[in-house]
Amino acid sequence: MPWGVVYYRTVDGRVPADEFLDRCPDKVEATILAVLDAVRRAPPPAFSGGGKWEAMHGSMGGYYEIRVTGPGRRQYRLFCRLENGTPEELAQRGFAGPQIVVINGMDKPSGQVFSDADYQRHVRRLGEDYLSTLPRRIA
Amino acid sequence: MLDTGHHDRRLQRRLRESPEFRAEFERQQREIAAVDAVINTLDELRTERNLTKAQLAREIGKNEASIRRLLTAPVNPELRTVVALADALDADIRIVPRKRTAARRKTRVA
Repeated sequence: MPWGVVYYRTVDGRVPADEFLDRCPDKVEATILAVLDAVRRAPPPAFSGGGKWEAMHGSMGGYYEIRVTGPGRRQYRLFCRLENGTPEELAQRGFAGPQIVVINGMDKPSGQVFSDADYQRHVRRLGEDYLSTLPRRIA
Repeated sequence: MLDTGHHDRRLQRRLRESPEFRAEFERQQREIAAVDAVINTLDELRTERNLTKAQLAREIGKNEASIRRLLTAPVNPELRTVVALADALDADIRIVPRKRTAARRKTRVA
């Protein structure tokens, strides 16, 4: 059974991933959504996503990123978590099956790196908020 | 249960409203499926031949971690590595031209 894809929603009703995807050039958005589509059909640990889906490590352990190069070699990243567990655990979170949870995205010029403060502010803080609610708060 | 249809609705809306978006989405789907098929086939051949990832890495003179990473954690695979792995597994990489429909030929020419 393919996994679902859900987007994290903030307490004030914003959907950071929607806002990020709306800012992306059409081709970048199309690529990101095609990767999500591939991964939901063949979720980890299968190889899936054409090399554009990667598990993150260190302080970003538990997150996955979709990596896409856009016009002018600008780098676009979408950050996700996975929701899996027993049927009872998933039901408690509000889900009938496992999900890819899209948290937020960031972009940067080629050659620059995101700082840990960037990850903390734009990804981990939101991811922690997502995990703190039962059932989960999604768009 | 929560309504989990937001992403599907977004995707369907984008596919409907933008032909450029649809064309790129479908192109990316084909590219991703091709890359995934190559890597997954190599890993299936490795399993059939009872080779560990470490043995396969030694076979082509690569370090074990890079092959483990290639076959299990998605990374952008180098073509040379893919060809070397196929060779070590007694397999070939081939590009097979698609049978193109008249409509598709027209689109390419236009």
